Amino acid sequence: MRQPSVIARRVAAASVTLVVAAGAAACGPKDNDAKGAGGDSKPQKGGTLTVLNANPQEDFDPARLYTSGGGNVPSLVFRTLTTRNRESGAAGAKVVPDLATDTGRPSENATVWTYTLKKGLKYEDGTPITSADIKYGIERSFAAELSGGAPYLRDWLIGGADYQGPYKDKKGLASIETPDDLTIVFHLNKPEGEFPYLATQTQFTPVPKAKDKGTKYEEHPISSGPYKVVKNENDGERLTLERNTYWSAATDAERKAYPDKIDVRSGLDSSVINQRLSASQAADAAAVTTDTNLGPAELAKVTGDKALAARVGTGHFGYTNYIAFNPKVKPFDDPKVRQAIAYAVDRSSVINAAGGSSLAEAATTYLPNQKSFGYTPYDHFPAGASGNPAKAKELLKEAGHPNGITVTLTHSNDKDFETSPEIATALQDALKKAGITVKLQGLEVNDYKDKIHSVKSEPGFFLAHWGADWPSGGPFLAPIFDGRQIVKDGANFNTGFLDDKSVNGEIDAINKLTNLDEAAQRWGALDKKIGEQALTVPLFHPVYKRLYGSAVKNIVISDWTGVLDISQVAVK
Amino acid sequence: MSEAIVASQAPGTDLASVPGASGARQFWRRLRTQRAALVAAGVVALLVLLALAAPLLTAIEGQDPTTYHPSLIDSARGGVPVGSFGGVSGDHWLGVEPQTGRDLFARLVYGARVSLGVALGATVVQVLVGVVVGVAAALGNRWIDQLLSRITDIFVAMPLMIMSLALLAIVPSSFPRPLLVAFVIGLIAWGNTAKIVRAQTLTLKGLDYVSAARLSGWNTWRIARRELLPGLAAPVITYAALLVPMNISAEAALSFLGVGVKPPTPSWGQMLTAANVWYQAAPQYLLLPAGALLVTVLALTVLGDGVRTALDPRAASRLRVGTGRKREAKADADSKKATADADSKKATADASAKMAATEADSKKATADASAKKEAEA
Amino acid sequence: MSGFGGFVLRRAVGTVITLLAISVIVYVVFYATPGNVAQITCGPRCSPEQVHQVAQQLRLDDPLYVRYWHFLQGILVGQDFSTGTSVEHCSAPCLGLSYQGDTQVTQLILAKLPVSLSLVFGAMVLWLILGVGTGILSAWRRGRLTERVLTGITLAGVATPVFVIGLVLMIVVCGQLQLLPFPQYVGLTDDPEQWAWNLLLPWLSLALIEAAAFARLTRAAMLETLAEDHIRTFRAYGVGERSIIGRHALRGAFAPIIALNANNVGSAVGGAVLTETLFGLPGIGQELVHAVNVVDLPVVVGMVLVIGFFVVIANAVADVLYAVADRRVVLV
Repeated sequence: MRQPSVIARRVAAASVTLVVAAGAAACGPKDNDAKGAGGDSKPQKGGTLTVLNANPQEDFDPARLYTSGGGNVPSLVFRTLTTRNRESGAAGAKVVPDLATDTGRPSENATVWTYTLKKGLKYEDGTPITSADIKYGIERSFAAELSGGAPYLRDWLIGGADYQGPYKDKKGLASIETPDDLTIVFHLNKPEGEFPYLATQTQFTPVPKAKDKGTKYEEHPISSGPYKVVKNENDGERLTLERNTYWSAATDAERKAYPDKIDVRSGLDSSVINQRLSASQAADAAAVTTDTNLGPAELAKVTGDKALAARVGTGHFGYTNYIAFNPKVKPFDDPKVRQAIAYAVDRSSVINAAGGSSLAEAATTYLPNQKSFGYTPYDHFPAGASGNPAKAKELLKEAGHPNGITVTLTHSNDKDFETSPEIATALQDALKKAGITVKLQGLEVNDYKDKIHSVKSEPGFFLAHWGADWPSGGPFLAPIFDGRQIVKDGANFNTGFLDDKSVNGEIDAINKLTNLDEAAQRWGALDKKIGEQALTVPLFHPVYKRLYGSAVKNIVISDWTGVLDISQVAVK
Repeated sequence: MSEAIVASQAPGTDLASVPGASGARQFWRRLRTQRAALVAAGVVALLVLLALAAPLLTAIEGQDPTTYHPSLIDSARGGVPVGSFGGVSGDHWLGVEPQTGRDLFARLVYGARVSLGVALGATVVQVLVGVVVGVAAALGNRWIDQLLSRITDIFVAMPLMIMSLALLAIVPSSFPRPLLVAFVIGLIAWGNTAKIVRAQTLTLKGLDYVSAARLSGWNTWRIARRELLPGLAAPVITYAALLVPMNISAEAALSFLGVGVKPPTPSWGQMLTAANVWYQAAPQYLLLPAGALLVTVLALTVLGDGVRTALDPRAASRLRVGTGRKREAKADADSKKATADADSKKATADASAKMAATEADSKKATADASAKKEAEA
Repeated sequence: MSGFGGFVLRRAVGTVITLLAISVIVYVVFYATPGNVAQITCGPRCSPEQVHQVAQQLRLDDPLYVRYWHFLQGILVGQDFSTGTSVEHCSAPCLGLSYQGDTQVTQLILAKLPVSLSLVFGAMVLWLILGVGTGILSAWRRGRLTERVLTGITLAGVATPVFVIGLVLMIVVCGQLQLLPFPQYVGLTDDPEQWAWNLLLPWLSLALIEAAAFARLTRAAMLETLAEDHIRTFRAYGVGERSIIGRHALRGAFAPIIALNANNVGSAVGGAVLTETLFGLPGIGQELVHAVNVVDLPVVVGMVLVIGFFVVIANAVADVLYAVADRRVVLV
């Protein structure tokens, strides 16, 4: 799962629920976000864009980054075979070609994928980019020294499970072929219609073997994109990017690259970042953040100020916060108890705890409420806005608990407003009305992650969240509900231990589809079906609101990332 | 921990007073003459009373600290309280908390229980450990002293905040949290107390009447109990009055780092942590716990000063500038120690000069004592 | 100065023993801290095999004493690390390699130390001015309104956590009044003027918290000196009150102030965690909290040792200064 880089503290989350049914596709921010606050003049080249961040870019090695394009800043340096469409709203959830001429040509039932590189692609030193470099970049991501990427390459490529990377195994991966300098062919062990989405990840960035310095490569990764790293201080705390003169806009339809220079400063307190962006003085006028959302307190202040409110970008990222059950733990083995809790949940108070209705949208579906995920509205256990304690009590009675129950809710002590104490106490207060006494078990973050992802120690009733690796139902549903993905001796994400033949079979069937729209529909239907089992109680989807400086123009926020796309921003 | 911790360890602490100099009656008489100290004592008593009577007071108000009131906040604006002054009304005397609508008065008085309780608990632990280690080091032989002093050094040199972060993560969450926080603060931050006690004990040990007791064959335990502990009472009580506010700040700092007392239990530190970003949108949310903390620290400091003065008649006489009594010959050694805790170093230094042969390293004990802070800001 | 030589030697031995003990304690405590280090380092979606490989690489499967011995070896003779493509040597004293960042801990400390030292020594100047100034004024104007107001202000500094004072100062001074830039660290050698402007607010926040201690100490020491015989004699001879305060009374407060100051500086080097976090200053304290959160043991041990080192050294310096200021003290 993608742990959204977002977040420092006070993030919030959300999406449009039922209301959206009509306009789910259109829920992206398009009104005031499309035009910057810096006047209506056309964006120009030049200037320095400042990025104010909480978290340093500690990982700047394409092998170690997780998300598509490695998130915002790395995507300025790393080009990949395919990339996300850099447009606002739902249009931005599409996958488009980047280094390759198309999004991939499937054959043999979507188990073989072939890409052809564009002509004239060059690194920052002027040497040509070849398909062998892409193969090498993927291979090195298998090295234990460079772990951190998503699991899909390992799971999908033939021989991927046993490959240990090029440092130990000089022969390389036979399942990636490079018949010539411009062609690369991938052989998968099963059909995967969503391979084009995977090819947006930074493992698909070319790495010239001669320049590979192992774990030290991240100090100066070789650029294939519009900017190169000229300074990287304190492990990504301060980055300076300048133009890569060998990059050509003619080969890159997605990155606009308006500013001449990007100055990334991190290690800042999130409330300070928001103060600076709202004051927008001097260099901060041309500043954005790629990891800090507006928190509720800041939102309260911003909404009272029209000029400031015009400088807020709003986005929706495919992300769901939910209650998870372990059906092996009593009393949660009884579906009626799980359903009772689903009925008793007060989503409005949970949303308030997460930052209010501007920062979170009630969720009744596990899948995010966006078309690309195949969003299919359902509400199997309607609790209304503030819960249905009467129905919950009735179910508890049927389950043999006429006097209510006492349960323990496990949560993290993180300050993320997602699995944190604020959400847990809001639930505690709401469930009380249904005769459910909730004891809270707050765990330090690392302890919490260990426990909920371990088959042996998974608690019965806990807060969890899941984010999209790419905007489709596949990476959202399969790790959580595919019975073959239960991991007994490592990090397990199928927390409900669902191992249902029909669900597993449907996942396989959808993976064969190369028509992504059709696949999306089927994922939505599958989500609705799984939802009946009440293994999770969806709570809310986040809405990301971020300030940007007064001189910043050309704001694009896609549904893929939910946050402002730094490659589109202009400061002149 | 909070830089606050640091500082409050106040100099001005009178480390030395004449042992057994004043009976309880004398003490009260002297304390009564200090108006500021009496007011401070009243404030402290009131705070404790508020904390103890929290359930009663909130019952009168008709609220409790955990019930959510979603109708009193504006969800679309981040959950800012509806109405003026943060939603102050007849039902909610001090308004409601942003995002939840929980009653602020109830949270403040229940928070007082936790904050004062944790601070007092931690202080008790610090004083107990500090006195035992300090006295043992001072009365033990060279090796015991060396060993205990080195151990004390280790605890002084370890960053309290970092060790607390680790320790609070190790202990299972089923352990009662306020008790745990008190223990962790107390067990890590006793070093300075021990140093002060050791220095003071060494000074007392050098005084004539203790030497006399020794010569007449009393055993160490009896000397400690009968002659030393009474003499230690004054500096220890004074120092403890300063430890309490330091520990309140420590609890606040731990909450800020996310390892303090767990929700929904309110504490001032937690309120401050949650409220600091609300300074612009809902100022009273921040001002209430900050004001409560300020009043508490002020009152305890003034009270600590008063207690010191009442326990030490010489200090009292010095309060009138320019009329200080003539020093008596015997008091020569102690006179130095009178004021700030850093001064206690001097005190021991003098003492050690006197008994140079026997107590070669007594002086070392102290300056650090003043140092106080393991604190981190 | 054989006495001084002996003092230095004894302190040096004591320091080494203290630091060793601290490193053992940190090792044991963090060994017991929950969090699967290999999984955190590897990433949440790593397979059990990958996690196992990472654990082997970081020697996490070794028993505690073996890992500690390895750590000691690194300090004495250095360590070698594989970057995958080559082997890199970390020369003694090597504090190991960060689990998360693949950076040598010694380099990390060298990068962060200037920030912490800048913060602490700048704040020190302010807290001495604020604290001692307030102390003198309140000793002089004892019992008057001035004294009460000054005491109140310094105590307010003590009572308000830095994350409140600092944030409010920043919002008002940088955001609303725009008198100062929002702090972001600029190296002293890069641009001394920007260095000072950017650090002014953090210095002030830290100083406000420390000032009260100095104010109380100064006041108390001065009151004591003022009560002594020779001062009365001066008064009798008609020496002016200003001169008495400035020349004589302050001298009495000198030694304890030095002692307190040295200790404050020592512990603030790694101790200004909240100040560094709030103002985004990339110092030791901020890095340490981050390292604790990701259970990055080598970084935690290294940084805690640096902090301990400064506290111990500061104590020694305090003793020396004290002895210089007060001849009766014998260094032992």
